[in-house]
Amino acid sequence: MSEVVTIDAPSASASPSSAGASPSVLEARALSKRYGDVEAVSNLDLRVGPSEIYCLLGPNGAGKTTTIHLFLGFLEPTAGSVHVTGLDVAAEPLESKRRLAYIPEQVMLYRNLSGLENLEYFAALGGRGSLAPEHLTDVLAGAGLPRDAVRRRVSEYSKGMRQKVGVAIAIAKEADALLLDEPTSGLDPQASNEFSELLGRLRDRGVAVLMATHDLFRAKETGTRVGIMRHGRLVTEMSTDEIGHADLERIYLEHMHE
Amino acid sequence: MIKHIARKEFTDVIRDGRFRWCAAVVGALLLVSLGHGWVQARQAQEELAAAQATAREHWESQGEKNPHSAAHYGIYAFKPRLALSFVDEGVDPYTGTSVWLEAHRQNDFLMRPAQDATSAQRIGALTAAQVLQNLVPLLIILLTFGALAGEREQGTLRQLLATGVGRPELGLGKALGIAGALALLLVPAAVVGAAALVVGSPGPAASPLARGAVLAGVYLAYFAAFVGLSLAVSAWARSARTALVVLLAVWVVNGLVAPRAAVDLSKWIHPTPSAVEFARTLEREMAAGVEDVQRPDRAALTESLLAEHGVERVEDLPVNEVGVYLQESEEFGNRIFDRNYGALWDTFERQGVVHEALAVAAPLLAVRTLSMGLAGTDVEQHRHFATAAEAYRRDLMRQMNGDLAENSRTGELYTAGPDLWAEVPPLQYDAPTLGWVLNNRILSLLVLGLWLAGAVWAAAASVRRAEVA
Repeated sequence: MSEVVTIDAPSASASPSSAGASPSVLEARALSKRYGDVEAVSNLDLRVGPSEIYCLLGPNGAGKTTTIHLFLGFLEPTAGSVHVTGLDVAAEPLESKRRLAYIPEQVMLYRNLSGLENLEYFAALGGRGSLAPEHLTDVLAGAGLPRDAVRRRVSEYSKGMRQKVGVAIAIAKEADALLLDEPTSGLDPQASNEFSELLGRLRDRGVAVLMATHDLFRAKETGTRVGIMRHGRLVTEMSTDEIGHADLERIYLEHMHE
Repeated sequence: MIKHIARKEFTDVIRDGRFRWCAAVVGALLLVSLGHGWVQARQAQEELAAAQATAREHWESQGEKNPHSAAHYGIYAFKPRLALSFVDEGVDPYTGTSVWLEAHRQNDFLMRPAQDATSAQRIGALTAAQVLQNLVPLLIILLTFGALAGEREQGTLRQLLATGVGRPELGLGKALGIAGALALLLVPAAVVGAAALVVGSPGPAASPLARGAVLAGVYLAYFAAFVGLSLAVSAWARSARTALVVLLAVWVVNGLVAPRAAVDLSKWIHPTPSAVEFARTLEREMAAGVEDVQRPDRAALTESLLAEHGVERVEDLPVNEVGVYLQESEEFGNRIFDRNYGALWDTFERQGVVHEALAVAAPLLAVRTLSMGLAGTDVEQHRHFATAAEAYRRDLMRQMNGDLAENSRTGELYTAGPDLWAEVPPLQYDAPTLGWVLNNRILSLLVLGLWLAGAVWAAAASVRRAEVA
């Protein structure tokens, strides 16, 4: 990415004071989600602090996306609770979402609007009010979108370009926490690298990141901690400083074959 | 936040080529139907004024004749077209707008364009009211079916709700955005309509601007109900396709099935005699009388007159016995007419109540009733004019028979002239006031209000519960 975007520090709400006894920005407490006989998430305890990038690994159906949707309040927990900067998501769904930014696996935008108009809209809904187009253009460029594309309609964008607009939306929100659901899926290696660099900058500014991914390499490179989920359970977690790429792959496969 | 959502929705919609095409077609039809209706109403009003003048001239220049012959010569009465009739011609093409007033008969109305129209003409005669009642809701459906279902399918709803926007704000913002896009179509039409009223009203005044304002309010409520309903279905449906299919089914029931069913059902509950059957009954009762309404007994009447005036021969009576008898016959006929036409009108009224009540199943029924009422082209206002015309006919007959009775003697060859014809005042008809119309249409107003409140509630509830993915 050629330009660095100014990202304000997260609000003080990420501090332990606002979160009661917990210093975590994102926290799941004994979280479970059941669909009939299927337990999508089972008794999950998870904490992501400021300046931390937590990568959730696991096969399809492990419960990664469900966990993210529980943090977003899209699903109601069967048991336990989720908290964002100390706010109980079930009790304060809107306020907790205002402190989050979310990038799904496939960023979907309004095809009849330009990238700039999409960003302007999502930023306004995210509580940023009306931001200057120049600033938003800088944010888009900082996320890797060519400047000559910002005013073109999204219907002309590639998937990678849409993903960059999604990143810009997350940046512009200046949220305390970022939830990512397979954000680099389908991106070319260069775009993935740029994305990792961007996450690094966000982490440096104190943002807490929870990223669901299949990409072991990216998790090791980008993450500060890694958790492996299987059948809705967090089977292990570790710091990425403690392990190498090969270790992570071995541990992951061991758990998958249990 | 609502402002941002509304603005985005508006921009998104107006950039959609499908909307532009649909809006252009509906807008063109609306403007053409308004223009055509106005020209037609103006022409009809001019023809009516000319016909009225001719009828009066014929009446006054009928020459010397017996006043009762003049009563048979008769005169035409023309129902004036109210200013808003160019928006909604209502039942006028079916009921007719002129009636021949003559002795002994309460005639049916004439000039019924629908009677002479071919099937193709009936289908092709698209009025502004039909565009507003049927095509604008279709446009609303096309604009709104994907409002939430489409966003859910595309995945934008998840991202939208992840921003922390409240669902009520989302629903309201979308409704306002769609309303804004619709306003691009409707505001010019409303301006054209208002200008047509102000610049060159095609009909006489009966608070046309106030009626126009209420009419605009009625259609706004109808469109708002459709937006609410469409949003509710869009939020509820699993896919945009499902939402579209459900809403199109609603549109078909509302615009095509319900009006036909309402007419049939109201006629089934409160049947009316056929025209032939009605005419036969009238003929029979006029010939033989019925129960307490009996033909006057001429011999008894003569006896009574002789006794009253203390003479023995009709020639010695100070009044013409024939004139008195003719008026008595007229009064007998009037009682028969009141009895039969009164019952018929009452049945129409009961059918109207059923029709209005059935609007709980389809808002178009309420809107159509209110639209015709405000345009002055509904059955009730036809009755209002028919009653005034009949009262005028009776006064005319009374005046003619009275002149014969008072100014001649029995057996005398009596004629009257232009002075008497000129003494007959022209029919002065005052159309009902706006208050009268609204008072008669409380049920429709209430049902439309219920539809609006219900649609808003359904939209709010459905958007609140809408699934994210």
